[in-house]
Amino acid sequence: METSFAITGKGYVILAADTTSARSIVKMKSDEDKIKTLSPHLLMAYSGEPGDTIQFAEYIERNIRLYQIRNNYPLRPPAAASWIRRSLADSLRSRKPYAVNLLLGGYDTTTYTPHLYWVDYLGTMTELPFGAHGYGSYFALSLLDRYHDPEATLEEGLATLRRCIDEVSKRLVVSPGKYKVKVVDKDGIREVEL
Amino acid sequence: MASADGGAYSYSLTVFSPSGKLVQIEHALAAVSQGTTSLGIKASNGIVIATEKKSPSILVDDSMLEKVAVVCPNIGIVYSGMGPDFRVLITKARKSAQAYWKMYGEYPPTRVLTQEVANVMQQATQSGGVRPYGVSLLVAGWDNHRGPTLYQVDPSGSFWAWKASAIGKNMVNAKTFLEKRYNDDISLEDAIHTALLTLKEGFEGQMTEKTIEIGVVTVPTPAELEAGHSGAATGRPKPTFRKLTEEEIRDYLAL
Amino acid sequence: MSIMEYNGGSVIAMVGKDCVAIASDLRLGNQALGISSNFQKIFPVTDRIYLGLPGLATDVTTLRELFRYRVNMYTIKEERDIEPETFAHLVSSTLYERRFGPFFIEPVMAGMSKTPSGGYKPFIAATDLIGCLNFAKDFVVAGTASSKLYGVAEGLWEPDLEPEDLFETISQTMLNAVDRDAYSGWGVIVHVMTKDKVITRTLKGRMD
Repeated sequence: METSFAITGKGYVILAADTTSARSIVKMKSDEDKIKTLSPHLLMAYSGEPGDTIQFAEYIERNIRLYQIRNNYPLRPPAAASWIRRSLADSLRSRKPYAVNLLLGGYDTTTYTPHLYWVDYLGTMTELPFGAHGYGSYFALSLLDRYHDPEATLEEGLATLRRCIDEVSKRLVVSPGKYKVKVVDKDGIREVEL
Repeated sequence: MASADGGAYSYSLTVFSPSGKLVQIEHALAAVSQGTTSLGIKASNGIVIATEKKSPSILVDDSMLEKVAVVCPNIGIVYSGMGPDFRVLITKARKSAQAYWKMYGEYPPTRVLTQEVANVMQQATQSGGVRPYGVSLLVAGWDNHRGPTLYQVDPSGSFWAWKASAIGKNMVNAKTFLEKRYNDDISLEDAIHTALLTLKEGFEGQMTEKTIEIGVVTVPTPAELEAGHSGAATGRPKPTFRKLTEEEIRDYLAL
Repeated sequence: MSIMEYNGGSVIAMVGKDCVAIASDLRLGNQALGISSNFQKIFPVTDRIYLGLPGLATDVTTLRELFRYRVNMYTIKEERDIEPETFAHLVSSTLYERRFGPFFIEPVMAGMSKTPSGGYKPFIAATDLIGCLNFAKDFVVAGTASSKLYGVAEGLWEPDLEPEDLFETISQTMLNAVDRDAYSGWGVIVHVMTKDKVITRTLKGRMD
């Protein structure tokens, strides 16, 4: 089943999302990228109802881009997160709400700080040192309680992520096979191979 | 410029003249200065607003005429100019005061209510298909924040706070008269008498309790305030604005 | 599964002698799973009003933003800070606007209100999710631990507590009540307000 993790460390945020695209009990695709680049220093991992996820993620992606074109600078992570949360909260009380859960990882180039926001389909939002969505969260969160270090280097952060992924693979009955991992820091966004 | 949809006449009536004036507003002001005189005086312990009430014929039942209107327990308004326009504004003001009460559980401060009415009047100077209101208003009220305050609102929607002011037919004379008689520590009783004297200047016909109207704002005592404060959730605080009865006016005129 | 218990969380406010206190837990959960141990539910409205919003977490943020907007507009229009009594009515009307599709929040307010003589007196109030006001003279509670909070507060609270004693009373009430509630806890934040200042302290408590 769908799982996504995020970890902050010293000057970076790591986002990881599984790459399976499933309909019911059938795997339709195993190389789906479920982490969108919203702006030069902002990443969004999304999961939830198929269809809603892509529609909503693209809507967000394009509006964040529009802001950047209009103003010649991107929204900072807290402002972007706030706007995205409001979109979900408004959607929740509409005729057909989007069922999409998000992890927003960003690096604020004005204050030189990494930010991670956990957002669910209700519009619940909180800033966290680490977070997860899906069944994987039941295994990963307690593991991260033990091993997370806000001062860890990228290598240490990736090692902690490895532990989470291994634990989920080992214990979760319906565990996903592959993950896509992306990092955002002062240099921008890049994909990393675990 | 002629066009298919009606040409120059389809413009709003409130268009700037080349000299930068809005003539419709000036005409509205002219309508006000033809109206009967009204005035307001702020005293050290309250405010009085008063007006001349003229009926077009002796056959009219003048108990129907109302020129000083209660908006809410702490605010009253008097006008000069067109009666029907005033009635519309008062209805809007009362609704606005009740809407405020529904939201905050208390009546609006004088300043806020005045601003609300002024906004309605301003809108009429900018909207299509309407004319400006042909009235000037004197708004008198008391509130916790600013105490007793007196505002004048004009057809343009502009408003100012006054210590004493007059509007309508005799406003220039009346204002000169008030300037001579006014001082900062005048009492409400004295202010009422000054108001009557000012109205008397240029009053046409007999001044009686039937031909004038008076409203007063009284400042609550500290004891009344304390009682009103604690009972805010249940009991009603005493009104701070009220109209004087004909008997009361007769007594003032007799003095 | 009740919507009111989906995220968990509790708030309490108490009156003391010339002071008030308001406290909440810091947990954000998804039913039994804990998500955050630093989720604020109490927000300053003015220098003399604090507002606690226990309930559905999405509505905590939405209402916080809505009240910030409405209070800012009030402050600009009226050229003054809103008084606690007036704010309580604003909260009530705002919630009642959604009578038939409510926000799932039961607000708790604490503040010091101006008296006509120029002094300050403590004020607390709470409403249900559709804005029915409750002006209490001793304490008000809300959230998933409200039943436990009633019990402990009933035993510990007494009239005319000084700020330091009120802090101790509200802290012990909160700490002990949330320990008996699976959906509240993970730290507590306490604000004690007197006429001229607010003291804020974060308590650890049982973090399990």
